[in-house]
Amino acid sequence: MPTLTIDDQQVTVDQGTTILEAAKKLGIAIPHFCYHPRLTKVDACRMCLVEVKDAPKLVTSCSNAVRDNMVVFTGTPKVEEARKSILEFILINHPLDCPICDKAGECTLQDYYFRYSSQPSRFKDNKVEKHKVVDLGAKMVLDSERCVVCGRCVRFCREVVGEENLGIFNRGDHSEIGTYPGKKIEHNYQGNLVDVCPVGALTAKDFRFKCRSWLLCKADTICPGCSNGCNAVVHFTLRSFNGIKGQRVFRLTPRENNDVNKIWLCDVGRWGYSFVDSIDRLTTPALKKGEDFVKGDWDTALRETASGLKTVVERYGPSAVGVIPSPHLTNEDLYALKCLFSCVLKVANIDFKLPGLDKGEGDKLLLKADRHPNTRGAELLGLSGTGLSAEAMMEKVKTGEIRALYLAGSDPVKYIGEKAEEALSRAELLIFQGTNFSASCKLAHVILPGATFVEKEGTFTNYQGRLQKINKALEPLGEALADWEIFTRLGKRLGAYPSYRCAEEVFKDMAREVAPFNGLSYQKIGPQGIKIADSSQ
Amino acid sequence: MAVAFSEKTKERFKAILAKYPEKGAALLPAMWLAQKEFSVITPEVEEYVAKLLGVPLVRVHEVLTFYTMYAAKPLGKYHLQLCTNISCTLLGAEDILEHLKDKLQIGAGETTPDKKFTLSTVECLGYCGTAPVLQVNDDFHENLTTKKVDELLAKLK
Ligand code: SF4
Ligand code: SF4
Ligand code: FES
Repeated sequence: MPTLTIDDQQVTVDQGTTILEAAKKLGIAIPHFCYHPRLTKVDACRMCLVEVKDAPKLVTSCSNAVRDNMVVFTGTPKVEEARKSILEFILINHPLDCPICDKAGECTLQDYYFRYSSQPSRFKDNKVEKHKVVDLGAKMVLDSERCVVCGRCVRFCREVVGEENLGIFNRGDHSEIGTYPGKKIEHNYQGNLVDVCPVGALTAKDFRFKCRSWLLCKADTICPGCSNGCNAVVHFTLRSFNGIKGQRVFRLTPRENNDVNKIWLCDVGRWGYSFVDSIDRLTTPALKKGEDFVKGDWDTALRETASGLKTVVERYGPSAVGVIPSPHLTNEDLYALKCLFSCVLKVANIDFKLPGLDKGEGDKLLLKADRHPNTRGAELLGLSGTGLSAEAMMEKVKTGEIRALYLAGSDPVKYIGEKAEEALSRAELLIFQGTNFSASCKLAHVILPGATFVEKEGTFTNYQGRLQKINKALEPLGEALADWEIFTRLGKRLGAYPSYRCAEEVFKDMAREVAPFNGLSYQKIGPQGIKIADSSQ
Repeated sequence: MAVAFSEKTKERFKAILAKYPEKGAALLPAMWLAQKEFSVITPEVEEYVAKLLGVPLVRVHEVLTFYTMYAAKPLGKYHLQLCTNISCTLLGAEDILEHLKDKLQIGAGETTPDKKFTLSTVECLGYCGTAPVLQVNDDFHENLTTKKVDELLAKLK
């Protein structure tokens, strides 16, 4: 393994490592545009030039591999001068519209300019005019004048998605990114183009002009869009800006995890967050009165729920109760649910497997057909196969053998349709606990508002059996509560139930009681998750 | 009508392919053949070449828009390509360009209504020693002056 010196520090790296990557190991950031750790190296922008002892000229650090005993300098006057010149060239035709550019604040061109150039333009002629607001695809927009022609977007489509649909047309300072005339980008990974673009040339339609990047807070999370469990960062705010009332979550961006999503997110997941602040969020407990729902408080709603369940169990036995949890819930939520129904109430009819749950449309890259983040977790917690199947429960509700049905985030009407609708409307007691209004919720007698994935702490187990953690970024909307907390409050009213104060306490119990979780703690899970089981078949 | 090479061109195409380790590498000569055969590289021709070589359509379009030698629009009978690179400009290419525009009543990149002349500005043609230079179809005309241009145009029927 070669050992080299970069700015007077020694580092040993694998054969074939580039100077830029070796420097990164030492915490030395070399500016670059065309280089991207997950794309081929093309040596196009020259921003990454460094000085190598005894080399006749500056070399591009992104593409030149290190050699043993190499001596590299990344900040000599010669290097500084080169950077300044490159930036001056790039900025000749740049519109400099940072004040209205969505990338401002996280744009490397802006950062490098202030860091390495900071000089007024010497260019006196007219700038080359190019296409603005080019509708490249359903999810993003191109501003050619801002483009530095690094080609990362072109390579992303070709190398990662495997569709060669972007190209660089024309020549020299007239070069422009584009699709073949009349065609659009249609793949499910358009958001990543916005991420790989180092400048504001590609911006997301969903985010354009909505919020300045520096006003957003960030928290690590897991995309709840499917069972892949892509690592993500949620960008949110506690206030609302620009008259976008009530919007707290503004976007999801990928977080690197080589074992799960590399450094990408699919569009389905990235833009699936809108339910968090949407108009149909359930924000207060509610009770059905005649045809309508009336707002209630937690005390009343929980009292109704507890006494209803108790009555059914006492009169007809636990087999008259059915529970359908959703694999959207965290392991903590599901474990708390299991404690309540199977330990306290002795209910065996618990099944999360609604038919068709895993029949979405997946793709080859990340997106899975199962659009639930915690199906594997629900399996590992044994929330299926202990009693009647979810489908069979519908039948029994219809015949009156099941009198009380508890829907924890699940929406049987969505998956089973009319048959479920008929069954649910016949239930003697139908409890719906969840985040948003739905066809099943509509038929409920009691509505208990739950927290979304950004409003609670917990863990998901992805399809590979990898346990990963989500964090509470925001308070639950209105009076909503984390699902584990709802079960804890209910448990208190129904018998001997642990008084959990936080998700971590639930996790601790689960880590003691459920085999695959044995010995684990939030600390052990870490930011990259931990594999606790095999993938499901 | 679907575009396709004539039998003779197909032969030439085969001979060209044989020179390259992979098909896609023959993109430039294949487009050149196409241009000779169809005189203009329309979207249909782009698609034909892309299929022939198994390369993505955008790559054909990249090449088409990169080089001035390929014609995406129909050219006139005489394609006047005036070099406006440094040497020619220093020796008066700008005047020649204005003169040509005046005479032909068209701008650079345009074709006269009678389809006789297309005027283009191009980068270095490699004739700096005898600048300014104008390429008319495959012939070069050197050491140009506005007077020589007039004589030349008079000869092009
Ligand atoms: S659009 Fe962005 S990613 Fe694509 S070439 Fe331009 S600057 Fe690079
Ligand atoms: S692949 Fe699944 S987990 Fe990943 S971003 Fe898409 S929906 Fe989310
Ligand atoms: S980052 Fe090295 S040449 Fe662009």
